[in-house]
Amino acid sequence: MKKLVKLEINGENFDVAITPTAYLIDVIRETVGLCGTKKGCGIGDCGACTVLIDGKPTLSCITLAVACTGKAITTIEGLSKGTELHPVQRAFIDKGAVQCGFCTPGMVLSSKALLDENPHPTQDEIKSALAGNLCRCTGYAKIIEAVEYAGQLLSGEVVHEQA
Amino acid sequence: MHCEPFEYEKPVSLREFESLYAARADDARILAGGTDLMVLIKEKLLAPRLLIDISDLHELRGISWDPRQGLTIMAGTKIAEIERSTLVKEHAPALAYAAANLGSNQVRWMATMAGNICHASPAAETPPVLLAHDCELIIGRQGGERTLPISRFFLSYRKTALESGEYVKAFRLPPLPARAAVAYRFKGLRRAMEIDMLNIGAYLELCEDGQTVSDVRLAMGSVGPTTYRAAVTEKKLKGMPIGEDFFAAACGGVVQEATPIDDVRASAEYRNRVIGVLTRRALEECLEIIGARRSAA
Amino acid sequence: MSRHDFDVIGKDQKRKDGPKKVKGEHEFADDIQFPMMLHGRIKRSDIGHARIISIDTSKAEALAGVKAVLVGSEAPIKYGIVPQMPTEYALAYQKVRFYGEPVAAVAAVDAETAEKALDLIEIEYEALPVYTTPEQALADGAVKIHEDNKFPGNIAYESDQNFGDVDEAFKNSHYVLGKVFKTSYVNHVFMEPHCAISKFDTNGELFIWSTTQIPHYLHNHLSKVLQMDMNKIHVKVTGVGGAFGGKGEVSNNELISALLARKAGRPVKVLYSRKDVFLQHRGRHPIEMRVKVGVDKEGMITGIDYDGTMDGGSYGGWGLVILFYTAAMLHLPYNVKNVRFNARRIYTNKPTCGAMRGLGGVQPRFALESLLDQIAIDIGMSPYELKKKNAIGFSHETVSGQVVRHSEFRKCLDQAVENSGYLEKHGNLPFGKGIGLAGGYYISGTAYTLYMAYKPHSSAMIRVDNESGVTVYCGATDIGQGSDTVLGMMAAEKFGLPFETIHVVSGDTSLAPFDLGTFASRVTVAAGSAVCKAADNVLKKLKPVAAIQLGVSPEQLEARHGKFYSVFEKSREIDFWKVVEKYIDAHGPLTATGDYTPPRRTGDFKGANIGHSPTYGFSAQCTEVEVDVETGEVRVIRVTEAGDCGQPINPVSVEGQVEGSIIMGMGQALYEELKVGKDGRLLNPSLHDYKIPTAADIPELKTTFVDSYDPESPFGAKEAGEGPIQPVIPAIFNAVYDAIGVRFTEMPITPEKVLKALDEKKKQEGIRS
Repeated sequence: MKKLVKLEINGENFDVAITPTAYLIDVIRETVGLCGTKKGCGIGDCGACTVLIDGKPTLSCITLAVACTGKAITTIEGLSKGTELHPVQRAFIDKGAVQCGFCTPGMVLSSKALLDENPHPTQDEIKSALAGNLCRCTGYAKIIEAVEYAGQLLSGEVVHEQA
Repeated sequence: MHCEPFEYEKPVSLREFESLYAARADDARILAGGTDLMVLIKEKLLAPRLLIDISDLHELRGISWDPRQGLTIMAGTKIAEIERSTLVKEHAPALAYAAANLGSNQVRWMATMAGNICHASPAAETPPVLLAHDCELIIGRQGGERTLPISRFFLSYRKTALESGEYVKAFRLPPLPARAAVAYRFKGLRRAMEIDMLNIGAYLELCEDGQTVSDVRLAMGSVGPTTYRAAVTEKKLKGMPIGEDFFAAACGGVVQEATPIDDVRASAEYRNRVIGVLTRRALEECLEIIGARRSAA
Repeated sequence: MSRHDFDVIGKDQKRKDGPKKVKGEHEFADDIQFPMMLHGRIKRSDIGHARIISIDTSKAEALAGVKAVLVGSEAPIKYGIVPQMPTEYALAYQKVRFYGEPVAAVAAVDAETAEKALDLIEIEYEALPVYTTPEQALADGAVKIHEDNKFPGNIAYESDQNFGDVDEAFKNSHYVLGKVFKTSYVNHVFMEPHCAISKFDTNGELFIWSTTQIPHYLHNHLSKVLQMDMNKIHVKVTGVGGAFGGKGEVSNNELISALLARKAGRPVKVLYSRKDVFLQHRGRHPIEMRVKVGVDKEGMITGIDYDGTMDGGSYGGWGLVILFYTAAMLHLPYNVKNVRFNARRIYTNKPTCGAMRGLGGVQPRFALESLLDQIAIDIGMSPYELKKKNAIGFSHETVSGQVVRHSEFRKCLDQAVENSGYLEKHGNLPFGKGIGLAGGYYISGTAYTLYMAYKPHSSAMIRVDNESGVTVYCGATDIGQGSDTVLGMMAAEKFGLPFETIHVVSGDTSLAPFDLGTFASRVTVAAGSAVCKAADNVLKKLKPVAAIQLGVSPEQLEARHGKFYSVFEKSREIDFWKVVEKYIDAHGPLTATGDYTPPRRTGDFKGANIGHSPTYGFSAQCTEVEVDVETGEVRVIRVTEAGDCGQPINPVSVEGQVEGSIIMGMGQALYEELKVGKDGRLLNPSLHDYKIPTAADIPELKTTFVDSYDPESPFGAKEAGEGPIQPVIPAIFNAVYDAIGVRFTEMPITPEKVLKALDEKKKQEGIRS
């Protein structure tokens, strides 16, 4: 039986009619229509579906949508304001951390969650925080560099130069 | 990946949860983090009729310390909270370490320790440490609770001592004696996101002389149908002086008591071989911690 | 224009798709939805090898919400990427040849209904013996997996090549070493699963959106299997979330989505699960290679003898091409006069092997670089010295007739060795630590096409006007590697305009002119050449106009910094866009095309067409490892790479290719392996049991380029996407040898194998002492 459920996504309220078996990723992508969240495996192994729930990185492919009422869900679409990118997003572009772009939304959100908690992570802390986001294109090196750089951008140590 | 339909309930209090679970225990499953449960459902290995979501029950969250009772971790506490807790880092650092090496960061923010033990996978990360701490489980049910040493919790492959309508409510890790320490060692193929090929939790307590083994617990994962203690070896080791004979007896003993199988992650032969190595390393680490604590004191 | 005087080329460019990708706006196939779209799902066999006796779809058809059910007999037309030897069907027809083969498909109003319907399809099979290894498939009396196979038994293809006199060379050698090497069954593990959406319009024209490397081959195959005119089919490449060769063949979901859409009369999306991706496979061939190499007293290679048995899985795919690539890639980057190659590809009841990053090269490189390392050590020479002595230089012609016009391989060896301290470390590190060196190379495109036509391999069209600016139309496909950026940069450099102002339209068969696709590291050189020629042709039209305005001859004009100006008198300049306006006012629309076909070479032996390339990229790596001798764990600590990719067009992208290659190779060397049960079932088709490296596993990476410029290539560029994976695996294996004195010859080096080998070594040493 479908029920009307209230979800708060990127600060906006959505009333969605869903069954209890609906997974958050499918509701976000298909019902709400925010396609930035990616499905790479469907069973919580690859991290492409990562969203933030109350600021914590969460695998939306093994999370029930109905369980998310009353929580603040942030998807990749909620990170930038129009064309103004979040510093993590700018850092990914500047450092060449983007190739095919499929793991990128999840990777960016995991990075943001890390930097929110720990503004100056060590390389090992970055690796540990991102180990649940698989990427096959980059070999991770430029992603780790980008997260370090994003930390500097966020703390104002470095000012982003417009190209 | 379609699955059989199920209902979903999210009780707002522990009381409501207990009565609901008492009524529906036979066809319901408790949803805490879902990192195991939802995968099992998606892969059609489980088909519960009802999921009872306890993830936001504040009565089941939190970590506290009492010098007599020790460390209490409520069942719904997230693995990531255990990993970061200063109380856990101080009183059960091996548990914080095991928590930090469980799955991925996302999984750690979703999963709970109760979930980790209730699925009773022999490869689970926290049971070896909990067994090494000889942790006490507080098991709840409608209208009451009981305590159970964790050494009696795992019955066999994915089977626990929970009776119908019971659930794990809290973990209580007794305070460590002065000359005691716990260490955790594991082996996976990769450095992260692993289901371990092997893991071990070791508890070592020395006599006042600082030389003789007063007590020891060795809890092994992935070498049998469930995580379990090498009871015979533990007995043999008690009273032995620390030295090469002790390590040899420990390593030789765990291999005797391990009953691993071949699976997609590792062969029985490998597991037999390396469980001894991990045991030695864990015990050495215990000694180091005890030594460091003594020289600091 | 001198090579050091570029405005755009060789400078790190931020890719234009970057902002979209970091915002999750880049459109992948699964992001596309149409009104009334149905979801297709595939019923797969639960048996490894069988005759199909009957399929009953009636219950599935009766399920509410099901709009079409499809079985193999509805499209019994064989296809394959090698058009001379088609072996596959959209859905199994009469037989299934591997566990998990698509047998039927359903389109329904939602995925859940489609999956329910699959459970209602009843299939009766007559079981046949399942062969999961080449040995079993080749055994006497084995049933033919393909009854119409023209080779004996289950040999899919076999061939030999023989150059010089290997036996004579070995007789006269100072030292000959032979070993048996085995490579593993590995998958690409691109992050985005296959997905295709097909839609027919009222006029019966098919539009298909798919994540593919080869839109033009897909176009061709759809026409064949659906028996439709090509001009009624439009292939649109969506965002491609990684491919590495795995989307370099038409996959079942593409054909099934089109067939279901036609049958249901509604758009149909067929999305794969991760397990489906493993079953579609097309990953690297496991090869058992018996390889012997001889050297003279100076360490010069006298000959190579190779015998390889490839486990091909159940269908043809790229197999026979890869067999011949293996032949071509056996001896380069070394100068070898005597080479004997014997190989066969065997059908087995497993998901089909195919093209995977560095195809044809990775397996023989592993064997050769391992053997050369051992030979050098055995004859008391540094592996670096031996490799450098034998390394090819410029204008080299191999025994098989491949012409390498440009090689800086020796520089690669020097630079990797110097940057890593290899000479000081090798042989001198404590037990358990080691360093290994390996070299490699790859083609930059292929001279031979399977498209069965003599048209140019790449073509481009450029349109310039004052309203839309510069638009480059090219059939090449950006699969995440950044080719749109590279092609845009080339046009920008040619026109003297900022890169950001160039539009690139690619991956659409209706819009962009023909291109073979993205494989064989061909895009930068082939599509790049086509774009450069098209740009030159645009300039040829514009310069006379500018020349009249400036009163100088067209030959002395250059386009730079948004202007045309005289190279002799810089003050005589005119704005680029002013010239465009004048041209269009006078002549009408300004467009030009360019195309590229590599020099065609061949020889008078079987497979002589394959392996030729206009130019070749090289690399060398020094890799440091630590081995835990008690648990057997091997950790890669540091990789120092020096690459010859010619002039890097977009250096940050090239580094990304190199780093991605190294980590992918490391995965194959240490962790990755698809495991197969006796019944042919995949035992680990998930990302928790099939383990690719995570961020926590990566070593320190030191990637550098050697100074290099191929004057015959567009802006001096060569490949960079597949060469860097060649040395990765042997460098790790050589480092492990340096660390613990064990020569592994089988991938992956798991902790178990390390412990067993160390035991064996102890036993041997015990016997000796």
